[in-house]
Amino acid sequence: MNSKIFGVSVLTLVLVGCSAPEEAQEAAHQEATEEATVAPAPLVGVADDAAVDAVTGISLPSGFKATVFADDIGSARHLTAASNGWVYAALFRPKDGMGAVALYDPDGDGVADERQYFAAGMQGTGMGVYDGHLYYSTDTEVMRWPLPEGGAPVGDAVVIAQGFNEETQHASKNIAFDGAGNLYVNVGAPSNASMTEMRTKGSPGMRPCPILEQYGGTWRFDASKPGQDQMKDGYHYATGIRNGMSMAWNTHADSLYVAMHGRDQLASFFPDMFTNEQSAELPSEEFHKVSDGSDLGWPYSYFDHSKGTRMVMPEYGGDGNMVSDEGQMPLVGFPGHWAPNGMMFLKGDAMPAQYRKGAYIAFHGSWNRAPQPQQGYRVVYVPLDDAGNVSGDWVTFANGFAGPDPVMSPRDAVHRPLGLAEGPDGAIYIGSLASGGRVWKVTYEGE
Amino acid sequence: MKANKLLGAVLMGAAFSASVAALEPQTGKALYEANCAVCHQFDGGGVPFMQPELFGSKRANAPKGAVIDIILFGSAAEGAGQSGFTNEMPGFDFLTNKEIALIATYVRTNFENNGGAVVADDVQPRRK
Repeated sequence: MNSKIFGVSVLTLVLVGCSAPEEAQEAAHQEATEEATVAPAPLVGVADDAAVDAVTGISLPSGFKATVFADDIGSARHLTAASNGWVYAALFRPKDGMGAVALYDPDGDGVADERQYFAAGMQGTGMGVYDGHLYYSTDTEVMRWPLPEGGAPVGDAVVIAQGFNEETQHASKNIAFDGAGNLYVNVGAPSNASMTEMRTKGSPGMRPCPILEQYGGTWRFDASKPGQDQMKDGYHYATGIRNGMSMAWNTHADSLYVAMHGRDQLASFFPDMFTNEQSAELPSEEFHKVSDGSDLGWPYSYFDHSKGTRMVMPEYGGDGNMVSDEGQMPLVGFPGHWAPNGMMFLKGDAMPAQYRKGAYIAFHGSWNRAPQPQQGYRVVYVPLDDAGNVSGDWVTFANGFAGPDPVMSPRDAVHRPLGLAEGPDGAIYIGSLASGGRVWKVTYEGE
Repeated sequence: MKANKLLGAVLMGAAFSASVAALEPQTGKALYEANCAVCHQFDGGGVPFMQPELFGSKRANAPKGAVIDIILFGSAAEGAGQSGFTNEMPGFDFLTNKEIALIATYVRTNFENNGGAVVADDVQPRRK
């Protein structure tokens, strides 16, 4: 409502401020009137029971169309779609010894006919373009090449951030960039709930949590300075983040956003406090606006979206009902264990207005809801206003990846969405690491 | 008289134990579902890249000690991070020899495995 009034005022100012010919003024006036009276299309997303497309296997909101951009590319993690027209994907496991792939669709039919593998001997998750460079991350380093005119980058990459400990759990170093020359790196906590003994029933939480000194947060670096060490040169930007694999910079609100994985196994460690049903739904997967110094609460607290409050983690004395004052409130609490693993904000205007300024979050899908069916294998859209505040209920943007419901075991999920990218033409790319790896291209074709 | 009462109490105790056992049968399947399925899943399918599937498992079909060790000591039995899976497995050495034998037998004779049975006496010598 406010933005509409603002839009009209700006138009009026423009009209007053210039001496356009009368017809143009008339047309502009008509446009302004139309903008003021035509309500924006409601945000409805795609229904959970919508049929999937026979060719692509996914369902999308009305007016959107997908193609299978590339198939069998390897275990695709994060994606970027560069200004040179190529789409780059990091690979979680090497394919024929290579840790990344470049894809290109020369004839524009929505299917990539060319692919080139690169990053020999590596494997990783992070992928992005910033300041004329292609960035890639393994579990221990973030590196970059000059962005080539096309195809795979050539030569050795220059390491920008390093010194991240080698871990296995929550070890992916996904990346984001602001508009001021900074690189943000997610450093996940190699832990479930900071228990003294790893994933052991009855083991209490450590306070202060020593893991938070070097993990469980976001570190900021100079995006262009080679050889920075995490602890010596990195700036500890935000903390209390168990794993923030879903992280992106919102250029509209000029802020970092993170969706955090909640902890696992409430019922198996605390069967007196949580039923299997509660343990499937809790804790929330938390969507946050993250600022310098933000604390998202892990491991001392978690968010319960059914209560709308932060709760004390049971390893720290909580009982499922004890409210916590540690950690900031999330913007949205999603159902438990959906696994937010990708995030994207659009910069262009190829998509309809109601789909432009919010957060796209790729949920990779759960494993920790058994014996309840597994859930989450979808891309959602959270509408945000110009200030980056939630402006309505989230909707599902793309679904059907996992195949027919119910998915009782994660290995039965055909695809699991993960990487998200916006192409120079405004198309949205969605990647999956399952079933050999796939990338879809999504465009808006209109009603 | 006294002896009868005592016998009655013993019998009642036995009946009580039997009814509890009927509620929570100490079968390999029940123990697996209570302790292992949260990560390895009820169908033994595991979670790609995170927790190993147990289908046609090399470890489950190897000599008995391989499965016993991973239950007792968790992923530390082979060195954390050596498996290619991201999550670590805790040890379950708090379970009894019999319980571990039942779980090991269940895993070695299900999920398309044919490693064969394990008994409690196989477990004790592997404890540290």
